[in-house]
Amino acid sequence: MNYSESETKAKKFAVPESFIACIVVITLVVSLGIAADSLAFGRRTIIRIGINAPITGDIPKVGEGTKYAALMWLADIEKNNGIEVNGKKYPVELVIEDNESKAESAVKANTKMITEDEVLFIVGPQSSKQAVPAGDVANNYHTPMISPWSTNPDTTSRRPYVFRGCFLDPFQGPVLANFITEEFKFAKAAVLYDVSSDYPKGLAEFFKQAWEKSHGPGSLVAFESFTTKDTDFSSQLSKIIKSGAQVLFVPQYYNEVALIVQQAHELGWQGPIVGSDSWGSAETVNLCGKDCYGQFFSTHYAAAGAKGATKAFIDRYQKEHGYVPDDVAALTWDSLGLVRNAIENCGRITGRIKKDREAVRDAMAKIKNFNGITGNMTFTEEGDPIKCAVIVRISDKGEYEFYKSVCPE
Amino acid sequence: MKSPIDKIKQLFNTTPLLAWLLGWLAAALTEYFIGDAVSYYLGLPRIPVLFGCLLALKKPLLIPGATGYFLLIYLLPFFLVARLCRRPANYLASLLARGPVSLAAIIHLALFYLALHIWADISDYRLLLLKLTMVAVMLTLSLNVINGYMGEFSCSHPGFMALGAYTASTVTLRLFADDKLFGAPLLSPALGPYLFPLALICGGIVAALGAVVIAIPSFRTRGDYLAIISLAFLFIVKSLIENLEFVGGPRGMSSQPDYAGLPMVFLGMVSCVWIINNFVCSTMGKALCAVRDNETAAEAMTVNTGKTKIVTFMFGAFWAGVAGGLFAHIIRYVNPGSFGIQRLAEILAMLYFGGLNSVTGSIIGAVSINILSEALRPLELFKWIIIPLLLIMVMLFRPTGLVSFTEFKAEKLMRPRG
Repeated sequence: MNYSESETKAKKFAVPESFIACIVVITLVVSLGIAADSLAFGRRTIIRIGINAPITGDIPKVGEGTKYAALMWLADIEKNNGIEVNGKKYPVELVIEDNESKAESAVKANTKMITEDEVLFIVGPQSSKQAVPAGDVANNYHTPMISPWSTNPDTTSRRPYVFRGCFLDPFQGPVLANFITEEFKFAKAAVLYDVSSDYPKGLAEFFKQAWEKSHGPGSLVAFESFTTKDTDFSSQLSKIIKSGAQVLFVPQYYNEVALIVQQAHELGWQGPIVGSDSWGSAETVNLCGKDCYGQFFSTHYAAAGAKGATKAFIDRYQKEHGYVPDDVAALTWDSLGLVRNAIENCGRITGRIKKDREAVRDAMAKIKNFNGITGNMTFTEEGDPIKCAVIVRISDKGEYEFYKSVCPE
Repeated sequence: MKSPIDKIKQLFNTTPLLAWLLGWLAAALTEYFIGDAVSYYLGLPRIPVLFGCLLALKKPLLIPGATGYFLLIYLLPFFLVARLCRRPANYLASLLARGPVSLAAIIHLALFYLALHIWADISDYRLLLLKLTMVAVMLTLSLNVINGYMGEFSCSHPGFMALGAYTASTVTLRLFADDKLFGAPLLSPALGPYLFPLALICGGIVAALGAVVIAIPSFRTRGDYLAIISLAFLFIVKSLIENLEFVGGPRGMSSQPDYAGLPMVFLGMVSCVWIINNFVCSTMGKALCAVRDNETAAEAMTVNTGKTKIVTFMFGAFWAGVAGGLFAHIIRYVNPGSFGIQRLAEILAMLYFGGLNSVTGSIIGAVSINILSEALRPLELFKWIIIPLLLIMVMLFRPTGLVSFTEFKAEKLMRPRG
């Protein structure tokens, strides 16, 4: 078909110019009509807080705890008609993004919240594998971020805009080693950990260092590993039992803890088994049952026998959502409390987001002795809090009882 | 009497690709200059980033505003300019058709890039999304070479990607960055952006070498065996990296230098599409299709089947490695956990959604799944119901994917239409 032929054909079937003109007019009328009634939304200064949580993916329970804690925090602020800064109240909005428990999705979510939603502060992501790359994004855009749960030192190191809400593994490892030494007076320990997962591996190594420092080289008689999703630990456990260890340290997540503890008892392990903050989920006892009763682990807070604000939070959470909050929810709650404190003390909200972010970051770094439900917090230069760890004993009823508190010197 | 859709089709069937690109450029420029003002008057909080999808799903009250914005800023300039430019564009296209194809392709690509660049300039979120989509295109296309054109079922693509990502990261961190894993840089960091393509090629080569390791034992058999061996390879690569302390073990590697800008990623994607398209159209590509349909018959027709298969497998792995290197420098963090079964499922979904044996299909599959999964982000859990449902529908109604068994011909695409 040549040019003129197609041209005449087109003219026969449609009148192009009037058709396009029609579209133009309709579009303009429609959009102006809409504009009139939606101008009411306007652009006023709203404080937006971003929540970057794993709502779908591997650890949805963590995402759920984060989201519930954030919504409770928002309800409190709405009761108060917003956050008061310099005598003026500003409304608060939450921007909750799902990071699917994936690193690149967490990066996308952070970029979106910073550039699109113009959030003032980001709370999350929780796991280190997302918090490390997402922290890089936040730092590059000069947006303050606090990860309530990430224990990897890389998350905050050399990043002035990134904070965290929990203690680090280099602190937790020695705390547990010292606790075992003082409590049981043992000299031989064993460790069983997941070599392919960042958190257990790091913690196992810090524990090893601390243990060998106080008991001499060779005192850690077994250092056994497995890989994620293994379910049979009998060969490692047999080796551990044969090695003559008096105590077993298992820095694993709840699903593996149940399997390891039960299999160890089946194989005839008699001594205590000690865990880390990853045991803190309510699921640990549900899955493990009686085998876990009487064991110890270190964590951020103890739900059973809590007092004051901690108890108020637990009761409220349990009433609204039907179960006792785990450490993620409590740490998220505290992180949001820190954020609120920082915003209230930032001086002035100007509405220019870049300036406000700087001001809030500076206020955050200056916080001293913040009284949270997981303990008192003061930030170091790196943005890591100095706070105490809690040793919890699983009671004979399966509750997490406060046993003692260990603070950094 | 013709239906209105036919009338509209009639209106635009003399419009060449060049005019469409100009229309797209016009839309991008309109948004660049008046997007903010228009979004203000439509009561939107700001320029809608993904054609208003995110806004519409989060705040249904803003749907009319977002639709109005889409009509005014995108649809209107796009069709108006495409329609108005068709005569000069046809004239230009017929001029270009006389010259070499590569010149015409470069002009079209430059125009396309310009429009993309302006579009991505509005927001960094868009930019990131665009870059990751381009990487996904590369991954899907390179898997199509193996799973589509060669007709095998390989599961090791995330493994190749991991090899590429770690190699490229090691090279750039060692040579150009002051890093805590490797210490002070060996070369001046100023050289980095120029030598970055070499780092990517290194990544690709290591991935191709990995492919040889699988190819030698598995090509003695056919069918399910390759799937199993390649799956095993994926696990081997993952646990190898987890146990290699000098690349960070399970903690991963972070703070790669920021070399993967939009031009770099675009160049990577274009060369990937261009070279793979030439490969599958070459004699080798035809031999490959013969091997897929009947290996014995191909052998009888003097095709060296062993060589064809190994070269193809390495070729596919090479591009997966390059894509992995780009991915590592976009996210600026890699950990072994990113290259597991989940990633494999994503790539396979994009491949089968788009269509086997088709360069166009791979591009469509990767872009649509990526954009869709971002646009449906506000739905959280329901996103994971909608996307799989879509996949099931595609598999039911078009079992080989949306666009399959077609050839991508640049000349045909760029020809004048009037």
